[in-house]
Amino acid sequence: MSERIVSFAKARQAGPKSLASIAWARLCRNPLGLCSLGVVVVFLITILASALGLIAQDWDTQYAVSFAPPCWMGAKLEAIPDEVISVTSQPRSGMLDPIEMYGLKDPLQPVLDQLKDNPLQNASRGAPLLILERSPTLFLGADKWGRSVALKVIKGAETSVLVGIASALLATVIGTLLGAFAGYLGSWVDAFIEWLYGVFTAIPYLLLVFAIAAVLQQKGVFTIILILGLTGWTGVYRLIRAEYLKHKVREYVQAAQAIGASDARRMFVHILPNVSHVILVQLSQQVVNFIKAEVILSFLGFGVPVDVVSWGSILNETPNELILGYSWQLMTCGLAMAILVTAFAMFTDALRDALDPRLKS
Amino acid sequence: MGLCLCAGVRAEALDPPANRVLRIASSTAETTLDPVGIQDLYSAKLASVLFEGVLTYDYLARPAKLVPLLAERMPDITDGGKTWIIHLKKNIRFAPDPAFKGKDRTVQASDLAFTLYRLLDPALHSPFSFLLEGKLLGLDELAKRARESKQPFDYKAKIPGIEVIDEWTLRLRLNAPDANFGHALAQPNLGVIAPEVVAFYGEQIGSHPVGTGPYFVKRWVRGSAMTLDRNPHYRPRPWDFDAGKDPASVKVVEEMRGKMIPAIPRIEIKIIPEAQSAWLAFRRGETDLIDLPSKLSPVALSHGKLNPDLVKQGIQHEIAVEPEIIGNYLNLQDPMVGGMDPAHIALRRAILMSSDDEAMIRVIRKGQAVRLSYPVPPGVLGHDAKYKSMLPYDPVAANALLDGYGFKRAADGFRRQPDGSPLVVRYWRTNEGESRDMEELAKRGIDQLHIRFEGHAVPFPDLLKAERSCQVMMRQFAWIADYPDGDDFMQLFYGPNIHANNVFCFQDAEWDRLYQESVALGPGEKRDQLYQKMARMVEMYGVMKISHARLHHELLQAKVMGFHISTIASVAEWPYLDLR
Amino acid sequence: MAAYFFQRLLQMIPTLFGVILLVFLLFNWVGGDPAYVLAGKFSNPEDIANIRRQLGLDQPLYIQFGIFLRQVLTFDYGLSWSTQEPVSHIFLTRLGPSIALLLPMLILETLIGIAIALAVAYVRDSWIDRALTLTTTAAMSISLLIYIIVGQYFFAFVLGWFPVQGWANHGQSWVRYAVLPILLGLAVSIAPAIRLYRTFILEEMGQDYVRTARAKGLSEMRVMLVHVLRNASIPIITNVLSSLPGLLIGAFLLERFFSIPGIGREVIMAVERSDFPVIKAITVSVAMATMVFNLLADLAYQWVDPRVKLS
Repeated sequence: MSERIVSFAKARQAGPKSLASIAWARLCRNPLGLCSLGVVVVFLITILASALGLIAQDWDTQYAVSFAPPCWMGAKLEAIPDEVISVTSQPRSGMLDPIEMYGLKDPLQPVLDQLKDNPLQNASRGAPLLILERSPTLFLGADKWGRSVALKVIKGAETSVLVGIASALLATVIGTLLGAFAGYLGSWVDAFIEWLYGVFTAIPYLLLVFAIAAVLQQKGVFTIILILGLTGWTGVYRLIRAEYLKHKVREYVQAAQAIGASDARRMFVHILPNVSHVILVQLSQQVVNFIKAEVILSFLGFGVPVDVVSWGSILNETPNELILGYSWQLMTCGLAMAILVTAFAMFTDALRDALDPRLKS
Repeated sequence: MGLCLCAGVRAEALDPPANRVLRIASSTAETTLDPVGIQDLYSAKLASVLFEGVLTYDYLARPAKLVPLLAERMPDITDGGKTWIIHLKKNIRFAPDPAFKGKDRTVQASDLAFTLYRLLDPALHSPFSFLLEGKLLGLDELAKRARESKQPFDYKAKIPGIEVIDEWTLRLRLNAPDANFGHALAQPNLGVIAPEVVAFYGEQIGSHPVGTGPYFVKRWVRGSAMTLDRNPHYRPRPWDFDAGKDPASVKVVEEMRGKMIPAIPRIEIKIIPEAQSAWLAFRRGETDLIDLPSKLSPVALSHGKLNPDLVKQGIQHEIAVEPEIIGNYLNLQDPMVGGMDPAHIALRRAILMSSDDEAMIRVIRKGQAVRLSYPVPPGVLGHDAKYKSMLPYDPVAANALLDGYGFKRAADGFRRQPDGSPLVVRYWRTNEGESRDMEELAKRGIDQLHIRFEGHAVPFPDLLKAERSCQVMMRQFAWIADYPDGDDFMQLFYGPNIHANNVFCFQDAEWDRLYQESVALGPGEKRDQLYQKMARMVEMYGVMKISHARLHHELLQAKVMGFHISTIASVAEWPYLDLR
Repeated sequence: MAAYFFQRLLQMIPTLFGVILLVFLLFNWVGGDPAYVLAGKFSNPEDIANIRRQLGLDQPLYIQFGIFLRQVLTFDYGLSWSTQEPVSHIFLTRLGPSIALLLPMLILETLIGIAIALAVAYVRDSWIDRALTLTTTAAMSISLLIYIIVGQYFFAFVLGWFPVQGWANHGQSWVRYAVLPILLGLAVSIAPAIRLYRTFILEEMGQDYVRTARAKGLSEMRVMLVHVLRNASIPIITNVLSSLPGLLIGAFLLERFFSIPGIGREVIMAVERSDFPVIKAITVSVAMATMVFNLLADLAYQWVDPRVKLS
């Protein structure tokens, strides 16, 4: 009780504070919230480092043997890998049957002869990225191609989180714009957007995903962001529309109208800041949802292309690995994702509490 | 309306005891059980035990041997191979069904004629109409007439190609001698069906299979489970096959000699799409057989043999090489990599030489495939084991070749066409199974050539469509034998088959001439020589590099007797088995 | 209220039309072409053209749309293109297993969710509350895919407590087959349910009437179980009602891994095969069910709490 009197007095002394600083102060008093924020920041720093190419650049390199176990588990006791059986004779390089044997003339013969005479010089022989000595164990183990799980999970974090953030931004922007227009302008604009909303929510989510993917044709990270963004705006829309409906009739808006502010100005300069706390919380929530949705999209075949790694693509390799007894990719990626998503979700809760206008003292 | 999809009169017989039921799982759901409409392997397998055709394959004979089934003896072939006279066994009855209104119904030659007519009916758009297209005198004209006039197919019309001589004799006249016509008669798609059944069930015929086969459908939960019971009207055949030299076959013969086909009174089938679920079900004894998918093979096998703990439980293991070819191909009509000029031939050969097939087999197929470089796989007539590929995995040589033909590297490190225009390899695939891993592997190879790589994953129907219109630049292609003859594989490269099976869009006048010659020759040493030359040309022009054929591992519970992997995947082994 | 009911019904019509239009455009226009799949291995362009004619795909788009409209109004979508099974039959047989899986899951989720949410609200702000929030959030962060894979492996295979896959439509076998998928589905859905119901309950507890009840000397238990619960049940029920249709398709992961012949799995197979009749039928039906359930939820809302005015 006394704490409140003290803080109240302090507030009166300090003068009116912005919502942001009040919220921040509240957040600081929430230990769980601060902790989650800290975890999220750690992840973001790692991701930034990965995006800038400082770490995990070489996630695609086959450093280890296939399914190398983590260091502390000791190397696999596997003997020489099975020899591949051939049912037709395979030539050793350079020892090919002459084409004349078949009564044919090779159109490439002149150049081939030339190459035989001049042993290959040139720079483009280029050493392929083959690591000749493949390590038997790695820090957190390796996948079927011998790539480091640790590096993959870090790089995957970069993709997944960026996809999550980008699509959440897209969904929130769409939802906010539509909600603002519908809530504020009313009449036929509202009716039309409500109809659009009705149609979008009536169609089952999965089918919407398939349909959009079919329209977009191109596969890639951009497509995933579009799919998630174009299907995830409905929740934000509903809330923002309700908020705009509420604020439309408030005094400060009518005052703005009196001084001649245009509709657009009223919508985005006056009302928007007052609903920003709702937007922020929704944005944060959607990031979490979309990071999880990306895993399901990968399962359905709408995941990232082959030269990109994301948590979804990693987790979709795990069913086959688990049955073979290799669980390190599942553990590492699952744990990383659980920690980030939990931290982000807890942070969203703390944010919501901090921004809640009803608790304004 | 047929909510209960049970064919046949509900038998008053009691349920067989639990130890006389064969339990099987399939990873894909059935589509239709109208023989004419079947194209997937699982539905074909079902059709092979529900229906019977004129001929079938001997259970144990390798290489595959045609033997009579509904026919009394092998057909009389006269007139230089152009006339086939088929004598049907008398007193073969169809399974009981309401369509027969309580009467026993024996198979007649007119039923066989009806079955053949039906395959080419345009309204049924059978995916296997090729079996008879262009083969029988007058049949194609009949189909064409139906298609153009938009009238129903005239089943009553008489044509010279199919003539009912008497109740049990049919005479077929072919357009040209066809050594492989017997194989067509052995396909499950030509399982004999009765006209009144088709009339009775109309559009729903796919849900009411009524044939002469050893089993009939007792219970059917679409896409989920099926129960097959022994057909009460089936005349049991004695289990009587020759073992030959194969020791595994000798054991099978010892176990099964003296029994009747079918020995097992009931088969229960479950659809289990996920491989792990199927494996776990087998380990728990919920199913009796499993076709082990390669991704699970490390669980059960080590160095190609069953793990000791499985052996201790009495689990049996059969291996066979699938009669298929799998490999990467390039589109000869593609604007970027196609063309018969030396530079682009070199480009294609270099691209094909960058594919590390051994890694593909070891890592993706988990070692459960055999390296193959000939377009006709082992077990199929025309296979050549001594053939040596001219496109080994050799990125260094491939790079040298590209340098030699002017594919210079630009400032960004990637190669350009000799005229300086961009060069991109677009690799197409579907979203299923190991195709993502295959793309990764292909990408690694092409990265070694310093060529820009783009992956293109599309749904299967779209891929088919693009392939048929020659728009797919590069993809991994698989073809499994429909019948055990090399022609089934060589026709893939035949020029006139572009926009159909020739997905490589490859056309070479000399090659086509050799192919036509091979068709006229039929199986034999002369044809083998032609095939060798044709295979060499396919590699020389950089069309396709065959990389492997998968191993089929069948694991069986201890109680299953008499199993031998069948020659053709569409024929099920179930009628030939018994349980201890 | 009757007026509101009819007004909402009227509003459903343009929405339904929008759904039909969107589905038609998306799948007919940009969806995969089924003709090539149906034509099989040895097809030539003539065969393809024939199939497209048989399926009616060669007609102009507006005629196809008209046919589609008629199909919606008569509930007769014809036969599946890939299996020739009547679409209505597909519906009748697949709906059963889906509902037999989802309804118990939904009921259990609601009951257990409410119970735990009440308990937690009772001890709000204590360490139990925070620990539970943390646990539920962590549980929610793990994808359903992982739960299924790990759960099936451990409980069915390693421990042998449940069958690995399969389904029976009724009786004792149904219980055997349904337990594991329902448990795994619960593991994922109960966490968000608890969080949501906790929010509803806490909001109710902040209302004046609760303070009044406490002031009148009623025990906390009675306040919570009798008054708060009754009022909080409104948003809870509406939430449950409106989420049911969405679950149908969303349950496809469970159906796929456990080989349950339900609607979710069927629709995925249909999309992979470009089987338009099935896709269109299921999409339109689920859309209609969603709208109907939303309407029911709103009506229930008003019926239970007359103070709420639905405009």
